[in-house]
Amino acid sequence: MAAVATCGSGAGTTGSAVATASKSNVTSFQRRGPRASGTNDSGPRLVSIAGTRPSVRNGQLLVSTGLPALDQLLGGGLAIGTVLLIEEDKYNIYSPLLFKCFLAEGIVNGHTLLVASAKEDPANILQELPAPLLDDNSKKEFDEDVYNHKTPESNIKMKIAWRYQLLPKMEIGPVSSRFGHYYDASKRIPQELIEASNWHGFFLPEKISSTLKVEPCSLTPGYIKLLQFIQNIIYEEGFDGSNPQKKQRNVLRIGIQNLGSPLWGDDICCAENGSNSHSLTKFLYVLRGLLRTSLSACIITMPTHLIQNKTIIARVTNLSDTVIGLESFIGSERETNPLYKDYHGLIHIRQIPRLNNLICDESDVKDLAFKLKRKLFTIEVDFIS
Amino acid sequence: MLDSLLSLGGLVLLRDSVEWEGRSLLKALVKKSALWLVYHDFFRDPLNWSKTEEALPGGPLGALRAICKRTDPGPVTIALDSLSWLLLHLPCTTLCQALHAVSHQDACPGDSSPVGKVSVLGLLHEELHGPGPVGALSSLAQTEVTLGGTKGQASAHILCRRPRQRPTDQTQWFSILPDFSLDLQEGPSVESQPYSDPHIPPVDPTTHLTFNLHLSKKEREAKDSLILPFQFSSEKQQALLRPRPGQATSHIFYEPDAYDDLDQEDPDDDLDI
Repeated sequence: MAAVATCGSGAGTTGSAVATASKSNVTSFQRRGPRASGTNDSGPRLVSIAGTRPSVRNGQLLVSTGLPALDQLLGGGLAIGTVLLIEEDKYNIYSPLLFKCFLAEGIVNGHTLLVASAKEDPANILQELPAPLLDDNSKKEFDEDVYNHKTPESNIKMKIAWRYQLLPKMEIGPVSSRFGHYYDASKRIPQELIEASNWHGFFLPEKISSTLKVEPCSLTPGYIKLLQFIQNIIYEEGFDGSNPQKKQRNVLRIGIQNLGSPLWGDDICCAENGSNSHSLTKFLYVLRGLLRTSLSACIITMPTHLIQNKTIIARVTNLSDTVIGLESFIGSERETNPLYKDYHGLIHIRQIPRLNNLICDESDVKDLAFKLKRKLFTIEVDFIS
Repeated sequence: MLDSLLSLGGLVLLRDSVEWEGRSLLKALVKKSALWLVYHDFFRDPLNWSKTEEALPGGPLGALRAICKRTDPGPVTIALDSLSWLLLHLPCTTLCQALHAVSHQDACPGDSSPVGKVSVLGLLHEELHGPGPVGALSSLAQTEVTLGGTKGQASAHILCRRPRQRPTDQTQWFSILPDFSLDLQEGPSVESQPYSDPHIPPVDPTTHLTFNLHLSKKEREAKDSLILPFQFSSEKQQALLRPRPGQATSHIFYEPDAYDDLDQEDPDDDLDI
């Protein structure tokens, strides 16, 4: 009897917990404690931040990466609190485009941006962001591009498989425009959007004076400064819930460009067994700790083709959550290969995270190629192999 | 293209090797672009022990940074002979940061006076270093010139990286005259096929097969006029292809066969057990 009673009460409490969970159904970032609104509902308030949506698979809160095709390949988007690592292509032409699309998505959704670079001034990076395609024009532009692409092939009449003649070529199609926008790579973002956004920049040559003595520490001074900067922003603007925000909660999008290059003071690209070979891995570890305890998502581009020690690449891959590699055909023998003539390069999805799961969301397609059309960056399934 | 290398600005990396040396090209380019030459010699006396010249603090890197802070307008070319020497004495990351700071000095918005373009021309002996430093420096470089050649003719393979465009490359044959002026030339007269030996003709693997891989004209016509098993007329095909409004499911067109039993009562009537 007593056991049944306790079981009943236990079931009651779990029932209410399930009820609240299903009511909120979003993520573990729930606000506990007194609410400013003072309403009478029993469950926690639904967390709804602009530009985010919960994942249908595991309930994680997702943000868009700026490329809807990439969002679909990653299982809906990039989870908040995780790192997206992009392995740069050899001449660094396409990875800045993904980087900028991520930042532009943040501006369009009203998120706060933190841009860190050792090569270019963040203000210049923001000036070069691609312009978003507005809702009524986006479908038209997309269809126009698809149509231009399809006309040479629609003349091929199929004799045996004629039912497939009118099926569109398998591309990742447009999604609803509230989550994930299309960007026009040939136009710049309007100046008023940049001015209306809240952004912080970290330009390494300004932050570090050249006469700074290098202390024998495990992290290079550039990395230490960047981590302190990120931590300050997260704390001051309340992304980790430390200062209860009066206004609506927001997401911090962090973008770090060319991490690991010699301009950051790291010598993994120069020597195989340098003095600071653990600096980058420690940086990623601390960064992930900062991200997991705050409402932020981070994109990092890294020139892994320059890293001399291959074990470091393996460690870096393990320490990041989502890893994507870009391989462009420029300068390689594949450029003249007639099979690849429509594409500019290949995308390799090297890792997808297992967040509160036992399995990860791997997509079935493994051969993905990308192409930078006149305006859009598209990812298609490569039908060759 | 070789003579307009320095007009682009940024870091120009000259990679040479033991067989094809680049110092004379460096001097030729300096001679072409220089109106006023300032010469710093750090090789003979790197730590300035003999105290003959005025002391530039910090050695060669300090001198680079001092040049970085100058404010008079006009394009500047800094020629470094050689980067290999600097790489042996300084950590690679410091050198990369210094070169980047110097070559991107014209991009800083804070200056009221517009500073002219700064080009840094560096000579790198690629056989002295491993792939790491060479790769790091070439990823920083705006233009990369690799020296090579055949049969006594020197060539420069120029790879130009513009910030957001595809890199362009070009090969230019040249020679340096005794007074260090640059003489651009056409390639050598022998047209070489780089990947095949001219003595062995390319083999066509389909010549000696026991089966036929190609179709003759008659065979192709016969193939085209073959009636396919599920052939519809083209009108019916088009009608099926056009999406009909209000129809969600697809139609199944079935002609009952002679053996088909349409009696719903006993489906197993044709079994003889």
